[in-house]
Amino acid sequence: MTTPTPVAPSRPAAAAPPPRKGRGDLRHMAADRGLDLLMVVLALVVLFPLLYALGTSLKTTAEVNQYPPTLWPHVFNAGNYPDALRVAPIARFLLNSFIQSGAVTVGQLVTAALAAFAFSFIEFPGRQALFFLFLSTLMIPAEVTLIPNYLTVRSLGWLNTYPALVAPFLATAFGTFLLRQFFLTVPRELWDAARIDGCSRRRFLAQILAPLARPAFATLAIYAFLSTWNQYLWPLLVINSQQMRTVQIGLAILQSQESVSWSLVMAGIVLIVAPTIFLFLIGYRHVVRGLTAGAVKG
Amino acid sequence: MARKRITRRSFLKAAGATALGMAGAGLAPALVGAQAPTRIVFWHAMGGNLGETVVKAFINTFNSAHKDIQVEAQFQGSYDDLVNKLRASIQSQSVPAVAQVYDIGTRFMIDSKGIVPVQEFIDKEKFDLTQLEPNILAYYRVGDRLNSMPFNTSTAILYFNKDMYKKAGLNPNQPPRTFEEIEDYAKKLVQSGATTSGITISIYGWFFEQLLARQGALYANNGNGRDKAATEVIYNQEEEGARILDWWTRMVKAGVASNPGRAPAGNAAAQRALAGGQTAMIFESTATLRSLLTNAGGRFELGTGYFPKPPAAKNGGSIVGGASVWILKNRPQVEQQAAWEFVKFITAPPQQAAWYVGTGYFPIRKEAYREQVAKDNLAKNPQFLTAISELRSSPINRPTQGALLGVFPEARARVEEAIEAAVLGRRTMKQALDDAAKNVDQAIAVYNRTMGVA
Repeated sequence: MTTPTPVAPSRPAAAAPPPRKGRGDLRHMAADRGLDLLMVVLALVVLFPLLYALGTSLKTTAEVNQYPPTLWPHVFNAGNYPDALRVAPIARFLLNSFIQSGAVTVGQLVTAALAAFAFSFIEFPGRQALFFLFLSTLMIPAEVTLIPNYLTVRSLGWLNTYPALVAPFLATAFGTFLLRQFFLTVPRELWDAARIDGCSRRRFLAQILAPLARPAFATLAIYAFLSTWNQYLWPLLVINSQQMRTVQIGLAILQSQESVSWSLVMAGIVLIVAPTIFLFLIGYRHVVRGLTAGAVKG
Repeated sequence: MARKRITRRSFLKAAGATALGMAGAGLAPALVGAQAPTRIVFWHAMGGNLGETVVKAFINTFNSAHKDIQVEAQFQGSYDDLVNKLRASIQSQSVPAVAQVYDIGTRFMIDSKGIVPVQEFIDKEKFDLTQLEPNILAYYRVGDRLNSMPFNTSTAILYFNKDMYKKAGLNPNQPPRTFEEIEDYAKKLVQSGATTSGITISIYGWFFEQLLARQGALYANNGNGRDKAATEVIYNQEEEGARILDWWTRMVKAGVASNPGRAPAGNAAAQRALAGGQTAMIFESTATLRSLLTNAGGRFELGTGYFPKPPAAKNGGSIVGGASVWILKNRPQVEQQAAWEFVKFITAPPQQAAWYVGTGYFPIRKEAYREQVAKDNLAKNPQFLTAISELRSSPINRPTQGALLGVFPEARARVEEAIEAAVLGRRTMKQALDDAAKNVDQAIAVYNRTMGVA
C-alpha cells in the first residue's frame, strides 16, 4: 500500500442517471459485495445455534449421538415434536408466558411513565432525593428479595396464580430511570405551552409526551418483555402445577434427571422459540418505525 | 395502540373470570358429594420422555384403582430445584402431601421437622419390610426408623464398549475390578489404537463418595453422621480420599482418561462420548442404563461392570443413590393417609418392575424381579443385573450406608471443585481436598447451629 499514485477519487454521480461503470464504481460494488458477504457470514454465526437446534430436533437419537456430529439430519425424524408435545403441554406454557410477560410489560410501561413524568416535569420538594432513593434500589440484587416476596405472595394466597407471576414486577426503577432521561430531553417549552393552553398533566403525558417517547417506550417494552420471558427461579418457586408453568420451566420437564435426550429438548426449544420469533418479525416494523419517527423531516 | 391495549386488558379480565368460574364449577361437586375423593399432590423430579411417561402411567393406574383418592403429580424441576422449593415452603401449608427428595436431602428433611416418618404408618399396619433390599433400608433407616420410603434407587457402575475391548485384545466378559485394572485397561485401549480415550470420568461428587465407600472409608465423622450429627468431613484426613484423586489425575495426565468437566454437563458429555464411540469406558449411574442402551442403538455392544475398588479393601461396597418419597406433616391427616396409600402403590412390585425396566434404577423390593416384565428384560439385557449384584455384594457398615449431611448438596459441589482443581493441576491434591473440607466444615457448623442440631 505504498504506491505513490494517488487513489482515484470515486465520484458519486449525484443526480445524474447511472453512468457507465468506471473503476470507482466497480470498487464500490466490490466493497458492497464484500460487506454483504461479511454480513451473511455474521448472520450465520448468530443464527447457528438456532439452525443447529432445528437440525438436532429433526434427528434420530442415534444420529444425535453420532461422531463427528452432523449439522443437518441425514434421516428426517419429525417424531420428536409429537413426543415433546405429549410430555409437556407447550401451548399452555406459551400462553402462560405471554400472559405473564405481556402483563408485566404493560404494567411497567404505565408505572414507569407515571413515575418518570413526576421526576422530570413536576417540581416538588425532595424530588432529587426521592429519585436517588429510587435509583438505589437498582443495587439490591433480586435474590435478596426472593424469599420475602415469596412469603408475601404466599400470605396473599397467590401461589400458583397469574398475580404471583406478575405483581412483583409491575414497578421498575430501571424503566423509570430510562424514561426520565428521555423525558428530560423533551423541550420544556412544550410543557409550558401545553399548560398555558390548559392541558392537564394526564393529557400531556398521554397525548404529547407518550408519542414523542415512542422509541424509549419500545426499548423498555422489549427489555421488560424479554427479562420476564426469561425468568426461571421466581416462576419455579411460586408455581406448582403443570397448567400454570411458564416456558422456561416447561423446558426443564423435557430433561430427565440422569440422561438427556437432546433431540427432544431441541424440539421443545424450537416449538417455544418459533412464536417468539414470529411475533418479533411482526413487532419489529413498529419498533423501527418508532425509532426513526421524526428522524427525517418532510 | 390504545385500542389494542384495551382489548388485551379486557381479554385478561375475561380469562380471569372464566378461570374463576371453572374453579367454582370444580368446587361445587366437591362440596355437595359426601364421598368426595381425597385429593393429594405429589411433587417429583422425574422429567424427560421416560420419567414423565412412566410417572403419568403410575398416576393413571392409581387414580382409576382408587376412587377415594386422586393424586395429582407435579413436576418441580431438578432434584435441587425441588428441595429448594421445599426449603421455602416446608413450614407452611403450601406443601404437597408427598414429595420425592434425593438421597442427599435426607438429613435436611429429617431436621426440617416438616415430615411424618413413614415408620409411623409401617408400625400402625404392621407393613412388611422383609422384602425390601437390606442395603437400601440401611441407607434410609436413620435412628432405627424409616423416615421416607425409597422409590428409585441406583448405584454407580462402569459402562464400556465391548467392541473396543475386543479390538484391544481385552476380554469383554471380564471388565476391570480395581483402580489398577481400570488404569491398565485404559492404557491398553489407547495403545492398541482402539480408541483415543480409554475412560471418560465426569467430575461428579457422587462418584467420589462411591469410590470412598468402595474402599471402606468414611466421608464424615461420627460414623458418617449416623451415630450422631456429623460435625466435619474427614475425606481429607484419610489416605483413601487422596488415593482416588491420585489415580484419577494420573490417568488424565497420562492421556488415557478424558475429563468432560463437572456434573451434570460432564455426565451428559461422557454419555455422548460413549454412545458416539469416542471413549471406551465411563462411570455412570445404573439409572442411565436404558437410555445408554437406546443411544448405543446396536452400533456397539454395551458392557457393564462393578465400580472399582482396591483389591485390599475388604469392607468396601457401594452406597445406594437415587431418591425416596416423603410424607409431609403440614397437610391434613386424611391426606397423609392417602399419601401413604400412594407410597405403598408406587413401591409395590409391579410399579417397581416397570420403573426398573424403563430406566435402570433397580427395584427396592425383591419380588419385583419375579414380575414377567423384569424377567423378560433380564433375559434380553443381562446388564440390568450388574448394579443390584454390586449392591448385594456390599457389606452393610457405616461407610457403605453413606453419609448424612444437612449441607450435602453444597458439600458435593465443593468436592467437585477440588477434583477439578487437582485434575487440571491447579492445586495439589492435598491442598484441594483440604480447601474443600474447610469450606464444608464451616457450612456444617452454620447448619448445625441454625437447625439446632447438636
